[in-house]
Amino acid sequence: MFISYNWLRELTGTKLSPEEIRDRLTNVGLAVDAVADRSDDFIFDVEVPSNRGDCLSHIGVARELAVIERSQVSIPKSEVSNVSGKTSESASVEIRDVDLCPRYAARIVRNVKIGLSPDWLVKKLEAIGQRPINNVADITNYVLHEFGQPLHAFDLAKLTDRKIIVRRAAKGESIKTLDGVERKLEEQMLVIADAKAPVAVAGVMGGEFSEISNLTTDVLIESAYFNPSSVRRTAKLLGLHTEASHRFERGTDPEGVIAAQSRCVALICELAGGTATEDALDVYPKPMQTMSVALRPARVEAITSLQVEVDEMRRILSALGFGLRAEESRALSFDVPSWRHDVSIEEDLVEEVARHTGYDKIETSLPPAHHAGEYHESEERKRALRRALSAHGFGEAINLSFIELANDFELISAFNAATSVVTLTNPIIEESSRMRQTLLLGLLNSVRHNLNHGIREVSVFEMGRIFGSNEKGSLPLERESLALVATGGIQEADRAQPAREVDFYDLKGAIEAAIEAMNLPPLTFEPATVRHLRPGQSAEISANGARVGTMGRLADLIAVEYKFRQPVFVAELDLTTLLEMSPQPVLYAPLPRFPSIVRDVSLLVNRAVTVAELAKAAADQTPAHFMGATFVGTYEGEGIPDNKRSVTLRFEYRADDRTMRDDEVDAIHWPVVEALKKQFNAEVR
Amino acid sequence: MGSSKEEITVAERNPNQEVEAAREAFEREFERFARFTGSGVDISLNDANTEQRALAELRTKHLGKKSAIAGAKKLIGKVAPEERASFGQLVQQTEGSIAQRIDEAEQSLKSLIEAARIERERIDVTIPGRRPRPGHLHPITLMRQRIEDIFVSLGYAVEDDREIETDFYNFDALNIPEGHPARDPQDTFYTTEGFALRSQTSTVQIHAMQRRGAPVRMIAPGRVFRRDTPDPTHNPMFFQVEGLCVDRGITMAHLKGTLAEFVHRLFGPDTKTRFRPSYFPFTEPSAEVDYSCFNCGGPGCRICKWSGWIELGGSGMVHPNVLRAANVDPGEFTGFAFGLGIDRTCARIYQLDDIRLLFENDVRFLEQFR
Repeated sequence: MFISYNWLRELTGTKLSPEEIRDRLTNVGLAVDAVADRSDDFIFDVEVPSNRGDCLSHIGVARELAVIERSQVSIPKSEVSNVSGKTSESASVEIRDVDLCPRYAARIVRNVKIGLSPDWLVKKLEAIGQRPINNVADITNYVLHEFGQPLHAFDLAKLTDRKIIVRRAAKGESIKTLDGVERKLEEQMLVIADAKAPVAVAGVMGGEFSEISNLTTDVLIESAYFNPSSVRRTAKLLGLHTEASHRFERGTDPEGVIAAQSRCVALICELAGGTATEDALDVYPKPMQTMSVALRPARVEAITSLQVEVDEMRRILSALGFGLRAEESRALSFDVPSWRHDVSIEEDLVEEVARHTGYDKIETSLPPAHHAGEYHESEERKRALRRALSAHGFGEAINLSFIELANDFELISAFNAATSVVTLTNPIIEESSRMRQTLLLGLLNSVRHNLNHGIREVSVFEMGRIFGSNEKGSLPLERESLALVATGGIQEADRAQPAREVDFYDLKGAIEAAIEAMNLPPLTFEPATVRHLRPGQSAEISANGARVGTMGRLADLIAVEYKFRQPVFVAELDLTTLLEMSPQPVLYAPLPRFPSIVRDVSLLVNRAVTVAELAKAAADQTPAHFMGATFVGTYEGEGIPDNKRSVTLRFEYRADDRTMRDDEVDAIHWPVVEALKKQFNAEVR
Repeated sequence: MGSSKEEITVAERNPNQEVEAAREAFEREFERFARFTGSGVDISLNDANTEQRALAELRTKHLGKKSAIAGAKKLIGKVAPEERASFGQLVQQTEGSIAQRIDEAEQSLKSLIEAARIERERIDVTIPGRRPRPGHLHPITLMRQRIEDIFVSLGYAVEDDREIETDFYNFDALNIPEGHPARDPQDTFYTTEGFALRSQTSTVQIHAMQRRGAPVRMIAPGRVFRRDTPDPTHNPMFFQVEGLCVDRGITMAHLKGTLAEFVHRLFGPDTKTRFRPSYFPFTEPSAEVDYSCFNCGGPGCRICKWSGWIELGGSGMVHPNVLRAANVDPGEFTGFAFGLGIDRTCARIYQLDDIRLLFENDVRFLEQFR
């Protein structure tokens, strides 16, 4: 909001410089964003907090300035010399919805001469960014910026039966507003109507039909108090935000209705001529009750640590318009001024005292120590996880939580068939109206974004919440998920190393490293059919026998949708489940005193036989001194039938008390191999 | 017998001449190797290896068992006793000088080969080193961790809770009454079931107070959602840290002290703070917190939009209604709360001109943070 320095000077006679005013107003909560230096004035751009509608005017700001400077605001005089007749003789006012319009006052000025405003008025309006129209319209606008009370001038001749009816819009009604737009009205909207039709949207904008024109002679000046929520709702529904609605939404002064109207009428008589009615036709069936709030002076120090004399508290509050109602030994009681809708409890008064004493006067100290700090219980493991993944070349991504529908994706098992997607009623991005059930969609979008920008190496992971519907009426399910995606070269291209494309095992290795870093038992990976993964390169991941996720190469059909021309590997794990698992104790295992003896065996097996199966089958025979069979390599191609693969395993044998002899090892080893041959229909190569 | 016959033959052959002939023969054949003892020899590694072999053959030929010198040595005992000493000396000298010449040439060749081999194995030390592709943490994670570390060291517990909330936690308990603009669907996302995506992490204040009771000190970093159309300074989702300290005797001085300590640790010990009266439904009194620009320190620059101050966030004394909603007695306890934007702080520190980049996950962007 723009405030003129000259105007403030007229109201308070301030002795402060524009820079001082900027700083002092900012210190009491009216942040001045900028001071514009005009040829003969300074204009402050003031940011008024949303609960301080009373400061949306020059008098409102002047009141704060007067408390700062210990001066007075001189409210401009509103003397009308030329009056005749009562308003009620020429017009009628009826409020049909007192909740939405507690007060409506009308007053008439006859025989005005519509024309241009005098220079001083034009200049004042232009200084604060207002466009002059004609003298009557300019005066209502001027008083709005002076008092903060929005006013409206109707052409009396255009009001059918000279009736003002404040009512809700009827079904199907519409109005052409001052901006020339035909607007459909809804039944919850409050309108000002004459005997026939709406002539203004209450508190928002007037109608074009009853607008002041050069032919207007008699004007009816409206000054009213409208319900803030009602005006906000209406303005929002109409997509209209006006100087008037801005103020009514924040609450105007119901007791200031007449003063602003008188000022307006006086100015019209002075600048546009004419004769005013003697009084306002003021419909105010249920006057607002004055609220009083108690302040125990000791609370000021208890809450702010400021030591303020009671006299000073009294001075600040009374200068702000709070009337001292009663004073007892330990509490003062104040009447809240009608323009202060933001004050209702003791703490509000404490704030008034504190901000006018100065927040900068509040000392700075740390609260006495009380608790030991603690991280979120999962933080240590999440940090380990992040470190491990970034050490394995994965960058951390963060995507928006809203997505499109993810039909093609298999969800983590915590979301069962009964879990449906959580949908937003009011998305901001049209196609993203659903809360993500998987992190993969976001990550694949990130891959696409990078590919589109010519970056073909993308290895990223994300940790975040995923959502699913719950039983009807219950809050949705929220789980933490971990997802990874990798594509392109695994190495950096510009380095002393050969290029290699990322594959399944790079992604798997990163996951294994992350699980290890979290100190969890190793996961198992088994071949599985997963909807969004390519058959034959997809695995189900389990921990302690329960499925916790999937990984593999993105299915061709999905890759085509994303226009990926290079293999993309993805994984998603139920992080909530992983974080709930107990970490493994770290215990020292004695080092072996004697060397192991190893035997490498290459077995020609069916392609579907897995290394894990072979190793397990070997272990299942519980051979003596067997330490396990580990993977060495696979070979397929020349000399190997198409449906077969040669798998080389290393069998390790060790005795605790001696170095085993070769013949001793052979006696154990070869029967194991024979058994494997039989079980898997394998040949030793 | 045979020996006397040989003695005669040798005597006839003139042993001195024999030695001289052997020397001359060596000199002729050695000539091509002589250059290796000089300086500035230019020879390929291959040639050098060939020459080394040839030199070894030369040694066998002129000093080996079947060489002329070996033959001459056998004559020493057979020449006339008066000439024996001088002849022996001649043979020895000749053998010695041949051996020395060959040794020298061999040594030089060896050095040449060694040097050539080292040259052959020269590497370019300027080629970038081999390493796994480095990963990076998201700037929001980095910032969140820094903030958590500071507050944990100040005795705060890190808390989190739901992202989809009931109106009670998102609004009612935070003293945001029905009809308040913040509840407008224009600003807050709602699910079809009528739940709200939390619009501030202040919701966690209530959960934490209900769980822990008072006194309590906690911070809640997390995602929040507001219906802002994405533009360079807005995202419909962002990250906030909410802080809460409730105890007996907590005042605004403690709020100021805590946030001053925080900015000292985050931006440096010279950073100043400024508290301006403001309005938030969940605090009373309320204050907007600014810190002196970490770039210019006050005089004004592009980063602080020439004001010298940068907005940190909102703060204030916890509204009694909020304490009541969490079953904490406002007569006994007071507290302060604050909230600041992690994204915005990131944007300031890294001088990000478009915060939409934070959620685009462009690898070229992510790689810049560590």
